[in-house]
Amino acid sequence: MCLWAGALEDMYWYAQTLYHTGQFHRAATLLCSRKLDKHYAACRYLAAKCHFECREWQEALNILDMADTSLARSSILNMSISQSFVDQDSSLPVKGINSSISLLRGRIYEAMDNRGLAADCFRRALQQDVYCFEALDLLVSHHMLTAQEEMDLLNSLPLTVCCGEEEMELVRFLYENRLKKYNKPGKQEVPESLSLLKNNMDVVVNLAERNYYNCDFQECFQITSSVLSKDPYHSQCLPLHIAALVELKKSNALFYLGHKLIDFYPNKPVSWFAVGCYYLLTKNYEPARRYLSKATSLEKTFGPAWLAYGHSFAADNEHDQAMAAYFTASQIMKGCHLPVLYIGLEYGLTSNAKLAERFFSLAKSIAPDDPFVLHEMGVIAFQNQDWHEAERYFKEALNRVQSVPYQNMPDKWEALLNNLGHVARKLKKYDEALEYHRQAELLLPQNPSTYAAIAYVHSLTGDNEQAVDYFHKALGLRREDAFSTTMLGSVIEALMVEVTPCDFPDEDSEAFGSTKLPLPPLPLQRGFVDLDSQSCLVSPSDRSSSMAIEEVEMDD
Amino acid sequence: MADISSLDLTRVKEDLINAHRECSKRRLLHGAKWAAELSSALNVTVSPHALAVKAVNEDQYQDFDKVTLSTAYFDLKEYDRAANVVEGATSPLASFLHMYSRYLADITRQLDNASDSIGHSGPVDNGCLKTLRMELSAKHVNKQLDGFGLYLYGVVLKKLDLSKSAVDVLVEAVNREPLHWGAWQELGLLITDREMLLSLSLPNLWVRSLFLAQVYLELQLHEEALEIYQAFMDAGFSRSNFIIAQIAIAHHNMRDVDQAVAAFSELEKIDPYRLENMDIYSNLLYVKEMRADLAHLAHRCCNINKYRVETCCVIGNYYSLRTQHEKAIMYFQRALRLNPHYLSAWTLMGHEFMEMKNTSAAIQAYRQAIEVNKRDYRAWYGLGQTYEILKMPFYSLYYYRQAHLLKPNDSRMLMALGECYEKLDRLQESKKCFRKAHSIGDVEGGALFKLAKLYERLSEEEQAASAFTEYIVETERKGTHSHEEMSQAYRYLANYYLARRQLDDAYATAQKCAEFTETREDAKVLLQQIQALRSHSEGLTPIHLDDSIESLPTDCYRPSDSHSFGRVTPVNLTFTP
Repeated sequence: MCLWAGALEDMYWYAQTLYHTGQFHRAATLLCSRKLDKHYAACRYLAAKCHFECREWQEALNILDMADTSLARSSILNMSISQSFVDQDSSLPVKGINSSISLLRGRIYEAMDNRGLAADCFRRALQQDVYCFEALDLLVSHHMLTAQEEMDLLNSLPLTVCCGEEEMELVRFLYENRLKKYNKPGKQEVPESLSLLKNNMDVVVNLAERNYYNCDFQECFQITSSVLSKDPYHSQCLPLHIAALVELKKSNALFYLGHKLIDFYPNKPVSWFAVGCYYLLTKNYEPARRYLSKATSLEKTFGPAWLAYGHSFAADNEHDQAMAAYFTASQIMKGCHLPVLYIGLEYGLTSNAKLAERFFSLAKSIAPDDPFVLHEMGVIAFQNQDWHEAERYFKEALNRVQSVPYQNMPDKWEALLNNLGHVARKLKKYDEALEYHRQAELLLPQNPSTYAAIAYVHSLTGDNEQAVDYFHKALGLRREDAFSTTMLGSVIEALMVEVTPCDFPDEDSEAFGSTKLPLPPLPLQRGFVDLDSQSCLVSPSDRSSSMAIEEVEMDD
Repeated sequence: MADISSLDLTRVKEDLINAHRECSKRRLLHGAKWAAELSSALNVTVSPHALAVKAVNEDQYQDFDKVTLSTAYFDLKEYDRAANVVEGATSPLASFLHMYSRYLADITRQLDNASDSIGHSGPVDNGCLKTLRMELSAKHVNKQLDGFGLYLYGVVLKKLDLSKSAVDVLVEAVNREPLHWGAWQELGLLITDREMLLSLSLPNLWVRSLFLAQVYLELQLHEEALEIYQAFMDAGFSRSNFIIAQIAIAHHNMRDVDQAVAAFSELEKIDPYRLENMDIYSNLLYVKEMRADLAHLAHRCCNINKYRVETCCVIGNYYSLRTQHEKAIMYFQRALRLNPHYLSAWTLMGHEFMEMKNTSAAIQAYRQAIEVNKRDYRAWYGLGQTYEILKMPFYSLYYYRQAHLLKPNDSRMLMALGECYEKLDRLQESKKCFRKAHSIGDVEGGALFKLAKLYERLSEEEQAASAFTEYIVETERKGTHSHEEMSQAYRYLANYYLARRQLDDAYATAQKCAEFTETREDAKVLLQQIQALRSHSEGLTPIHLDDSIESLPTDCYRPSDSHSFGRVTPVNLTFTP
């Protein structure tokens, strides 16, 4: 280098080496002192990157900006220089430097919490170079765009210009595969022509993620485990695997995984996220918060950690703090509806229905097809006693859920079915209500609130015998259920009043039949009194469903 | 129904031997035992040709190593290991072993994890069952389950309280594999009434008759059950322990104590080391208060195997008879630790808690019993009693009613119901109950008296009088009576006749009244009134009043006196419930 008295490529390579050995300042100074960064895009990029590595965002940005303005000023000259330079010597990786610069700029903006600009930069990077996967990855994994925007971006990419027929299909499939998966349940198949990719890790992981959002945790877990057995530290797969472990309550495996990750990658947020999730799963919220906040401090844009951080408060009924965490998450994950959904849930739990509704509609505007959102909207409508509206939402959610060809519907949706039952009951469609509750029972057997709901419907239709039976079942499973206890008392009383002697079974059943026609007086009155406790009956299941969703996002 | 008398016993035996082979291959031990027992009871020769192992089809060899290893682990009760070995194997046998071992692993784990305090089950942990169910239902939809797989699916569904689907699956299972008794048994526990039983489409084989008999026993239709069992006995199964035991149980349920005891002691002779059903035997001995025999039975069972539910129940009964209730409870608890789904231990423990006046524990125990088997009328009855003590009449009414529905011809339930209605001031219903209780043969007595008292309360005098009269006649005939009730009956009758001016009858009954210390004073007054009335009408002076009273205590229990009520009998005829 000395010999050549600062030949360009030597300078560049030298700086590059310094960069790779972690001597960022030295490299930057090397480049800047010779003003190389002013003239050559590659050098500018490298210098800025050095500053970026040192977390000197502003400096980095300055270098990039300065070049931009100078570029504008003496564009022709510079262009020619760099152009000629490129022509002369292709050893400098100038191809795609523009997109790289855009990417870097985006990352800097993101680090400076300027997410709007960052997203723009990433988008530009992708436009400049369709192969700039990193930009897409960042956009998607940091949830910067809504699903619609993502689709628009993908469609606007100049694929036809940049790549051949086959490549286009490939790139398009891979990108599409990578896009938002959770906003609506669905499946994606690998097209025939690309069947070679079937076992590609990334494709497989994306499939697992889809399974996860379809609540098929077992399947997801199997896929992620098989991926991790081939590649134990597949970075995209890890958060998913952790989430599946949480969902399947495999705390021991999570504990071990967390330990391994901490040992190997103490600087990665995902390691601390794993530990935090372990404590969350074992209901040790204090340490969970500690480790999750560590994860967020390592990388502020690590959305899952923020959400889990919020859950750790929510599980403790600390609604305000939970909301604060969710708000941060919503800032970070602009394109993701989950933080907003959780904020709505928290508002709902603090019985602030108006605000909850507003946040739910916000979530709905981001992800209009997510059944979870629809379900929560239904719950709010239910609480506002707008039964028809609630029914509409629930049914829509059910439609969405059923659009996935499940072999077995995941039992997460038991709450949805039960709520449909509640609504049908409120609308006095008792048979329908029973049917929904039955389905819920099939989905998730031995659930006391389902039994209580069935019993309640029976008592309203005057079938006190069945009602008593089901209340007994409910109480057998959850002994201290106040609703069931009081209802059982009154229903038994009513039953015994209406049932005349059992001496002659035939006569007896007739007598029973005749009293069936007018609704038995006692339970009905009770029913009115119990309206409040009735909604209590609903809310636990909502709560569980909300917990369900909470877990759902956990990864991503 | 297949005609039992014309059974081809050779065929039956061959089938049973094959069934045993299939069951033991799958480690369905109880099913295998049942088949072997029945087969050994049949005294016919089977050609060795039929017993030769049929050529095994290919897919059995395909997993041969895995299956062998898996069954070896299974026999050592290492269920998880057994399941793991055959994981992913495709042959029906291997996949059955896989699922079955997983099921058992889960069950044993839950048993081990169960908290020590009996009856305080925490939140239900059915995660494993749910995943099993998911997998099985997927296979079921794809028609990959054979008869045994269906049986397992049915069992899992039943565990998850999804009885409706369980019944469907189990019916399918018995149609596929009719000689697997376990499936029949599980199905039997899910049948709620006769209509349901008749609506099932079951294979038309001799096993079906056995199944029907078993269900009839459960449904308290003992005559029908006995008939079937008798037919089997006549057809050549007379040496079968299984059928003898079932007959004994039928007698026990019919409260035909002596016959049942006889049957059990016969069973004891044939199969001295048998423990099954011995708890029922001990119940019988308990009821008959045959202390020595019960002690002997307890010691014998204890010698055979201390840690069997049946043994624990026998010992518990023994201590209960000696009124050592704590010890009895301890043994019932041990039984439940061994098998938390053992019905009679729950019920018996409930009874013990009742004896110790621990109502909440009793309720727990009874409820658990009902969880295990909804048709246990004793548990329902016990619940009724406890709630009666807790002064919650509606609840106890409900429970008594359940018990009554299960055992419509038992007067004890009806009596309890009647008393409940009486407490709730619903006298008409109460009246019906007592009347019915009397008409179906009052076991403990008292129905008539209660009925009479009720008529008295309702001031239906005619009825009351006839009821009291009949009560007196009955008790005189039986020779059992309580002074208080008799005296009240006589007093009422005396008043009744007096009011109707039937002075002779009034006199006679008043005389009887005077026999009892409780009513002597009333009787004196009554006699004086009668005397006064007589003298009023006939102008006679009261002469034998005094000495009659003197003489009375001596002939207190003179049965010949009853003929003096000859005149009352016509009234009896009007007494039609």
